[in-house]
Amino acid sequence: MRKFIVNVNGNRYEVEVEEIGVPAQPAQGANADAAPAVPPKAVDPVVSAAPPPAPRVESTPAPQAVPQGSAGAYELTSPMPGTILDIRVNIGEKVKKGTVVAILEAMKMENEILAPKDAVVAGINVTRNQQVNSGDIIMTLT
Amino acid sequence: MTTHDKIDGLRQRKERTLKGGGEERIAKQHKAGKKTARERLEHLLDEGSFVEIDAFVESRGTDFGMQEKKTAGDGVVTGYGTIDGRLAFISSQDFTVIGGSLGEMHAKKITKVMDMAMKMGAPFISINDSGGARIEEGIDALGGFGEIFRRNTLASGVIPQISVIMGPCAGGAVYSPAITDFIFMVEKTSHMFITGPSVIKAVTGENVTFEALGGAGAHSTISGVAHFASPDEETCFSQIKKLISFLPDNNLSDPEILPCQDDVNRLDEDLNSIVPDDPNKPYDMLTLIARVVDNRDFFEVHEGFARNLIVGFGRIGGRTVGIVANQPRILAGVLDVDASDKAARFVRFCDAFNIPLITFTDVPGYLPGVKQEHTGIIRHGAKLLYAFSEATVPKINVIVRKAYGGAYIAMNSKHLGADMVLAWPTAEIAVMGPEGAANIIFRKEIGMAKDPIAFRQEKIREYRDKFSNPYIAAARGYVDDVIEPAETRQRIAGTLDMLSGKRETRPPKKHGNIPV
Repeated sequence: MRKFIVNVNGNRYEVEVEEIGVPAQPAQGANADAAPAVPPKAVDPVVSAAPPPAPRVESTPAPQAVPQGSAGAYELTSPMPGTILDIRVNIGEKVKKGTVVAILEAMKMENEILAPKDAVVAGINVTRNQQVNSGDIIMTLT
Repeated sequence: MTTHDKIDGLRQRKERTLKGGGEERIAKQHKAGKKTARERLEHLLDEGSFVEIDAFVESRGTDFGMQEKKTAGDGVVTGYGTIDGRLAFISSQDFTVIGGSLGEMHAKKITKVMDMAMKMGAPFISINDSGGARIEEGIDALGGFGEIFRRNTLASGVIPQISVIMGPCAGGAVYSPAITDFIFMVEKTSHMFITGPSVIKAVTGENVTFEALGGAGAHSTISGVAHFASPDEETCFSQIKKLISFLPDNNLSDPEILPCQDDVNRLDEDLNSIVPDDPNKPYDMLTLIARVVDNRDFFEVHEGFARNLIVGFGRIGGRTVGIVANQPRILAGVLDVDASDKAARFVRFCDAFNIPLITFTDVPGYLPGVKQEHTGIIRHGAKLLYAFSEATVPKINVIVRKAYGGAYIAMNSKHLGADMVLAWPTAEIAVMGPEGAANIIFRKEIGMAKDPIAFRQEKIREYRDKFSNPYIAAARGYVDDVIEPAETRQRIAGTLDMLSGKRETRPPKKHGNIPV
């Protein structure tokens, strides 16, 4: 079972897609494993109110990583293990080098995650209160 | 032959040496955005001060057509001159002569000026622009490298040694710069590596460009090999001059004390509000440093490498100081492998050359993670403790905010021999942060509490009020005084005065065994 969040005209839809027997079917055609790139519209969408459930247990909130938007060429990764406290940009937004794009709480500090260059936010791979490890992708830029 | 003919003969010979590898090769050098060996000397040294030595030296090689290739000077210009009036010895490789390759006599020229620099107690500057070992001269070339490396090592801690990379510097050649105190590189025209892109491609299949592998960018940010990266040669020379201005000529002399126009007693009220009310908010440590040193003039070393820690030179009351500070804006200011290496090497340089050390501490701890542990944070972190403990120069520590756990000890603490530890009222000196401490001390109670979250928050607050301050440490004398941020400059200046006659000796030994 894989989960996707699809934005249609500003509405957020949480979509669950079940993969059936994918590894067992080789050479089915070019599109066989292109699932993440194509929004899975065939399945009846399970619609839910926009934001993911607020974390209840304060110690380990860790919602699942749900990549949004497309994947940009430049991956902005977490410099150290911590919790994403805030995401300051939206998909499609232009950012200048040095713009604060997210806040990572780690090592007793609210660390500012800065855009490394002038770019456009292509995809956001984390949600608020998500725990990340060093090297985890926070967002991708183009 | 008359005496006049002989004098004419000398003039002709000298003129030939000035032309290096000839106009065609000089034009090629210029086209590549590089100056010639002699032009570089003119830019770096005071006008007309350069005195050349060994202009007539040439290769003794006879194999593979060396007889025909050999040129007076043998691919390197050596001698001495002055920089802002101060003596310096220098070698400058000439890429237009046999590719600046290093042969037996080329190396002998370099080692001669190195020996002179040692005897006279003056800095040695080596400008590198060379294709590497001269293959035609075989192991005599290798021997030459070894002679240079040994002298670099013996001169380490005796005279400042500066390496300037202004062209290729590959293979064994990299190890002379690596042993010296500071490496300058120029973007796009200089490269350093042990094995080049073609060998890497053949052995591991990795594709990498010269610039990405060993350019100024890579070495000044990722590997930390280079301390300074400049966009062009002119900028590089002015940076070298600036660096030299902070340094003494040798380990037995003190850095020059310049007249100071900036009042050492000036209070800086803005420092009272630089630390945010919320202890988890970052601020820029560079701003703090700039406000404390003379004329806001701070010369950062290793600016692009391990940016979570700042090192560099400044002056207080005209006197050179070496500054080591955590940078809360980058990685929360943690100590990690690279930051420990960077700081330890800088501390040892300052100690070797009689430069007082000032630390500004705001460190949450060591960076956790498998990668850090497996890269050897134990081994590398130990260097910083070793360097501060070993240093006998005046050591002043200003604890600005966080000073937690092992990192508190490592950052020039009283326990490692700091002469004066001053804390701001915002200081938090404790064995660990309130969140972690509350979790451990009150684990059982939190588990049993009716409202665990509220109970935990209460305990965190309790711990913070009780321990996250400078007064527990001050009550034990680990902090000598708690001061108002505004008076930081004044207090440091006064302390430096008090410490100017400091004498501290260590038991005689061959040398320590720093965990390298």
